[in-house]
Amino acid sequence: MALPIVVLMAAASCGPSDADSAAAASAQVTDRVFAGGVAPEGKGLENPFKDDAQSVVQGERLFGAMNCDGCHGGGALGFVGPSLVDGRWRYGGADGSVFRSIQSGRPQGMPAFSVILPEDAIWKIVSYLRAQPVPEGVPTESWRTTE
Amino acid sequence: MTPDSPTRRVLAAGTVVLFSVTWVVGAVGQEGTASTRRAGAPEDGQWTMPAKDYAATRYSGLSEITVANAAQLRPVWTFSTGVLGGHEGQPLVVNNTMYVVTPWPNVLYAFDLTKEGYPLHWKYRPDVSPAAVGIACCDAVNRGAAYADGKIVYNLLDGHTVAVDAVTGQEIWKTKIADLDLGETVTMAPLVIGNKVIVGPSGGEFGIQGWVKALDLETGRILWTGYNAGPDSQMLVSADTFEPFYDTGTEVGITTWAGDTWKLAGVPVWGWISYDPELDLLYYGTGNAAPYNPDQRLGDNKWATSVMARRPSDGALIWAYQFTPHESWDYDSNAEMILVDLTIDGQRRKVLVHFDKNGLAYTIDRATGEVLVAEAFVPVNWSTGVDLATGIPQVDSTKLTGASRGNVENICPSLEGGTSPASPASFSPRTKLFYVSTNNFCMSWEASQAAYIVGTPYIGASIPYHAGEGGHLGAFIAWDAASGRKVWEIREKYPVWSGSVVTAGDVVFYGTLDGWFKAADATSGEVLYKFKIGSGVVGAPISYTGPDGKQYLAVYAGIGGDWFLVAGDVRSDDPADVRPPADFMPDLARHTSQGGIVWIFALN
Repeated sequence: MALPIVVLMAAASCGPSDADSAAAASAQVTDRVFAGGVAPEGKGLENPFKDDAQSVVQGERLFGAMNCDGCHGGGALGFVGPSLVDGRWRYGGADGSVFRSIQSGRPQGMPAFSVILPEDAIWKIVSYLRAQPVPEGVPTESWRTTE
Repeated sequence: MTPDSPTRRVLAAGTVVLFSVTWVVGAVGQEGTASTRRAGAPEDGQWTMPAKDYAATRYSGLSEITVANAAQLRPVWTFSTGVLGGHEGQPLVVNNTMYVVTPWPNVLYAFDLTKEGYPLHWKYRPDVSPAAVGIACCDAVNRGAAYADGKIVYNLLDGHTVAVDAVTGQEIWKTKIADLDLGETVTMAPLVIGNKVIVGPSGGEFGIQGWVKALDLETGRILWTGYNAGPDSQMLVSADTFEPFYDTGTEVGITTWAGDTWKLAGVPVWGWISYDPELDLLYYGTGNAAPYNPDQRLGDNKWATSVMARRPSDGALIWAYQFTPHESWDYDSNAEMILVDLTIDGQRRKVLVHFDKNGLAYTIDRATGEVLVAEAFVPVNWSTGVDLATGIPQVDSTKLTGASRGNVENICPSLEGGTSPASPASFSPRTKLFYVSTNNFCMSWEASQAAYIVGTPYIGASIPYHAGEGGHLGAFIAWDAASGRKVWEIREKYPVWSGSVVTAGDVVFYGTLDGWFKAADATSGEVLYKFKIGSGVVGAPISYTGPDGKQYLAVYAGIGGDWFLVAGDVRSDDPADVRPPADFMPDLARHTSQGGIVWIFALN
């Protein structure tokens, strides 16, 4: 996913050569490039295991077996890595965005699991994470008592 | 018991041996320059080493601030570091300049203490990989710098050591010492011994093979590397020089690990180094064995959770002692080794004193490695004590963990440790007491098979905590290491995770996780002064003399470390990471949030 962005930026900053133009056209980039350079990767990708309850169970197993819980905590509640069950997402919470985060990694230490996981396995982890209920009342943590 | 009230406790002494403590005196070797200042040298009002002196005492000989006047302390200056991670470690003060290292991205600030408002001489901003943030197990912390020969030397999280000109702020050298791709990061404070910089890695949760290295102070070149597990040749063990008090045999760095599990031993070095110039030995503690599922590494797992004594010139391992054989509870032994001399049964002994995560305080002959005293300084139930004849702890087998043992409940202390190596103790030659921050947690441990995937956590355990007896989650205590006895304690509502400094005014200073900086009577434990400093304290206060001749205290605010992980609701910086409070500590976030601030205090 990084390649089309690089091509777009090169085209914008240097003026396109014919070769660049051809590459940009063939890449057919439809995502916008946000300020800061972070693109909503994975937009439009569909989870082939959507609505497959078995994939949620398999995904939970993979979440442990791939040491995801070592950073994101048991139950993905957050540890050194962010919570993945708070309904909040740094890099987009659509199925395809979560897929890309696992597949390609993210800057602050999230590894690129495409090296060791086939796409189906990544999708099952997505299924597991997306199946987790988002807690209610998260935005406000209150200690106010009714004295 | 209210949090601030001291309790005097006289425990039944299991071992009735009378000791008297004498200060380490007499210097051998290096000239008395700032870089080589050692315990017992005249107080020069500076703070040039992480733990004040080679003996790691964190004792300041300054005496302007006393028990009588400490109530008149006031904050005189603050500075936001602009960084939100856990501010562990301590500043340095050298030649009227204060040096502050931040957590990642490891900015180095140099403040001019001679001018009003302490403006910066310079700040140094190294290029540190953001990937290191996610490879560091337990927040992107740094435990400080060392000064020597005109250089400020410290470690970068992404596996580099740098030397920066103390006057100009220009980088002199930068050496890659650790491999981020293998899960190695660096958080410890280096120690400079002569022309050598001693460093080691974090990564006990990533299946590294831990080591220490010595770098040339002038060039940064790596002079030697000694591993903490593996073949004798890698550990720099030879039959000519290695002489542990409790005989272990040869190649124990392999034979005490099932199969080739020593290659993923863990055994990191994320704490502190100390040094005895007379014996010419450096001391450090090693961390946990990897993974947390001990079924995957049957055997004693030497030299995990051990104290190592090496010769600085070539790294040769002279002796070692393992505190927790077949470590099964993440009881890292990275806490400092404090070097003092004791008289035992009329015989003067050079000892080191160590407060281990396993809850036991050890007094060990630092020339030979013989254990002289080992007593619990917090509630301990994994062991009933240490057999001093063999040095081996008696283990309650029902507390052993492993995937084959299911969920093992109520193990004390928790993996936060009886004390954390992140919160170093201090020692006063005047009161002859050690001052120790402690945690009061127990835990359950459910291990599972861990898969090694390079660069990802290699753990295999689920470990919930609960409060220990009494309901308070921590205490600041005074400890008599000669008799193995607690003398007083100040109970705190939350775990105590700051270091401490004790002074010739008989005042001891520490901080609390809910953000109080406190001064206490070093003799009685009475709290003399406290001030809320903006964020929880996980750093270590220091004391120094300003250009005006006055005594000052400096301390970091900035909660983090493990509390960034398990009390995630103290964070406010990431809209995409919102967590409920920890069930064992539901209201910490009511009192503190992140934020790095340097504070300086002085008498009114």
